[in-house]
Amino acid sequence: MFKDLDPILHSQLRLAVMSLLISVKEAEFTFLKEKTNSTAGNLSVQIQKLKDAGYIDVVKQFKNNYPQTICKITPQGVTAFEEYVKNLQAYLGANK
Amino acid sequence: MEERNISEQESLQLIQEMIGKAKSHYHESGASAILWGAVIGTCGLISFAEQQWNFSIGFDIWFLTLAAIVPGIWINIRAAKKRIVKTHATAAIDIVWNVFGISIVCVVLYGNIIPSISEGFFAKENIELLSHNMLTGETKKYWPTTLSLSSVFLIIYAFPTLATGWISKFKPMIIGAVVCYCFFIASLFTPFKYDMLLCGLAGIGNWLIPGLLLNRRYRKAKSAHV
Repeated sequence: MFKDLDPILHSQLRLAVMSLLISVKEAEFTFLKEKTNSTAGNLSVQIQKLKDAGYIDVVKQFKNNYPQTICKITPQGVTAFEEYVKNLQAYLGANK
Repeated sequence: MEERNISEQESLQLIQEMIGKAKSHYHESGASAILWGAVIGTCGLISFAEQQWNFSIGFDIWFLTLAAIVPGIWINIRAAKKRIVKTHATAAIDIVWNVFGISIVCVVLYGNIIPSISEGFFAKENIELLSHNMLTGETKKYWPTTLSLSSVFLIIYAFPTLATGWISKFKPMIIGAVVCYCFFIASLFTPFKYDMLLCGLAGIGNWLIPGLLLNRRYRKAKSAHV
């Protein structure tokens, strides 16, 4: 019996953002946009969803008079990501 | 990339791809290493040359290190402003270099304060240090300098370089640090003049060369993204 994959993470852009954030301490919005090759609008919406789920922290501030958004994965996000990968591996292992 | 559901196989590939992208992102220009490598290298080599060929440039060349502090801070602030991602490795490396800065200041204080303080302590016990030349019979007051302080500097130079090289898996820095430790061992047996030469060479091997290699890598990575 397989656990259902977390619907918050089982989406292309949100999973990409979480995979990037799990590898770093913190990243700016521009970094996530560049690496995921997504539009600013779509990325903002998905970041908000991850924030609402408690998976990431978002800090908005000003740097050189320009708005800057810094994202950081939360301990809850790390646990959810690890659980997601575990379930994914179990699913793929069973389907080999 | 858009917001859409994906298959389990695609998920795994995406995770691997993104982790790879995060790891391959490179932003270290090596400017700080180039600056300090050039400064320490110049100071050490000129100091050695002054003693080897008996001339003076009119001022203590090591004051150049003080002059380099302001551009050094400016380079670090500029690099921090440009940084759009902070990895766990860069956070650790930043701490290592801050500790290095504190340690260098402490060693400079140690080298400058210990002689006069030691003299004061000896004076309180009615002791005066004297040096006696066995050949001429001349006896004069001995100023209690810190012996082979440059050996201590060589250990301090090697420590952050080895830590940075090890954390970032950057071989030129690991090699530079190992060479610096070898210079430290050599400096235990060499007179002051050659210690200066070793310090200069350590600056070049430890920071200048790895810094130039870092800069080349940075420019390559930057041009690949344009």
